[in-house]
Amino acid sequence: MDSITTAASVVAAGLAVGLGAIGPGIGQGSAAQGAVEGIARQPEAEGKIRGTLLLSFAFMESLTIYGLVVALVLLFANPFAG
Amino acid sequence: MESETVENCSSHYPLLDIDSSDSSSGIKSDEYLELQFRVFRLAFLLTIFSVGIAGFFWGIHASASLLVGALSGIFYFRLLARGVGKLGTSSKIVGKVQLLVPVLLVLVSSRFPQLDLIPALLGFLLYKPALIIQFLSMP
Repeated sequence: MDSITTAASVVAAGLAVGLGAIGPGIGQGSAAQGAVEGIARQPEAEGKIRGTLLLSFAFMESLTIYGLVVALVLLFANPFAG
Repeated sequence: MESETVENCSSHYPLLDIDSSDSSSGIKSDEYLELQFRVFRLAFLLTIFSVGIAGFFWGIHASASLLVGALSGIFYFRLLARGVGKLGTSSKIVGKVQLLVPVLLVLVSSRFPQLDLIPALLGFLLYKPALIIQFLSMP
């Protein structure tokens, strides 16, 4: 792998993880805030709130995982490496 | 009364007995454990089905990679569920330890020639159809 491809892959990996984590991070924070407030207001609905929070976290975090996988593939199994 | 239902639920689903910190804080609720149990059951069924299909059409190599990926996905979901279970009681944030699972999966599948990367990643994402089915079947 030549040096330009290596440099571009490393920069792209960093951007994939960094930019891909911004949106899910904000979303998870606000979702957790809402869930904790909801549990505090209605402790009897804790199971339902936690279940919904788990499902939404799983969907949100998959966006982070996509960026992470792209970055790891670029770093460790680069398809552009000669 | 509530503690009785929690104990009953733990005796029904011993695999989902989250950990001692959760049980001591008493946050385990019947609905949350049942939801986890349903998702795990669906994910296991999807894993068995897809591993069989992959083994039939693409051979044992892809099938083993898919199985490793699917088990990693289930483990990832288990860690995520544990983090959400602790939220608000023993922890103020949801941990990010579960993100190490896909990292390790990619590293392992790129290091070992017996494992293919694409089937392993597809297997890792098998927990998502289980989640979607569960989400659609929620009242």
